Amino acid sequence: MLRIVDQGTLSQLRRGVIEYCVLALLRDGERYGFELVRTLSEVPGMVTSEGTLYPLLSRLRRAGVVETSWRESTSGPPRRYYRLTASGRAVLEAFSGEWASFRDAVDHFLEQEKAA
Amino acid sequence: MNAAAQHPLVRDYLKRLEKAAKDLPRARRKELVAEIEAHLSEALPPGASEAEALNVLERLGEPREIVAEAGPGQAPVRAGLNEWLAISLLLAGGFLFVVGWFVGVVLLWGSRVWTLRDKLIGTLVLPGGLATSAFLFMFVGSSTGSSGDGGCPATRVGLHGAKALNASNGCTSSGVDVDYLFLAFGGLLVVLPVLGAIYLGRRANRLETAMP
Repeated sequence: MLRIVDQGTLSQLRRGVIEYCVLALLRDGERYGFELVRTLSEVPGMVTSEGTLYPLLSRLRRAGVVETSWRESTSGPPRRYYRLTASGRAVLEAFSGEWASFRDAVDHFLEQEKAA
Repeated sequence: MNAAAQHPLVRDYLKRLEKAAKDLPRARRKELVAEIEAHLSEALPPGASEAEALNVLERLGEPREIVAEAGPGQAPVRAGLNEWLAISLLLAGGFLFVVGWFVGVVLLWGSRVWTLRDKLIGTLVLPGGLATSAFLFMFVGSSTGSSGDGGCPATRVGLHGAKALNASNGCTSSGVDVDYLFLAFGGLLVVLPVLGAIYLGRRANRLETAMP
């Protein structure tokens, strides 16, 4: 058993999956930037600094998996809403399947380790 | 600007963000700053306390960290053959039947190494490059030569040739003042395109040296 969990490894893992978490948050409808960022950062262990999520959102938009539109808000300046594109939905579906088997595989070994 | 951005801590933060993001492509920089500004105005009610502002900024993270996240996503841009060809053609391409300079302009604007500002400078200082210098040089040389000396033929083609040719044609020099003006103007004409080329070269290199 490792006494110290390598922070580098953890942040690599996080970086690898956070884009899909954003896509998953948009599965049921659009959300504005701040809402997305706060929803993600409220789950402990996923986001270390909220600001870095904005470049990530920009990357997703340029990759064509999300699209944005500005909408008036009742309580302040206009908000930029993010929503999944068809290709974003496909990417999310594919990842969900891959992730389930990946998670099971990791669990398989972790559980085995524990049992031994 | 909204109320949240008026908080001195927020203003300072946004200033640092702008500074950290200065090497991002213009559109990306504007997008990032707009998103962070929107975030701040959502997170901080008007008249928020110092502690609230600190907390929100803490959660956002350091501007440098945020910009670093925006960096690796873009394809690495570095100066290559294209860029050096563009600089050469902008400088001397005008001599290649003028078309060479226009090819240089196309390469300049097609490159992702330079910013909009670089491209404007590269195009406008000096259109045509050294060929324009040479052309203006001859044009001005011949016009000052003929206006100042009356009957002298328009034979001034260069700095060194001017006096000798005038002398051999039996013409008197049109005056020291005009000559110095002519020299200064000619010097400027040669220096401008060269400076333009050096500027573009340095701007192209900036990214190469910034690469890890």
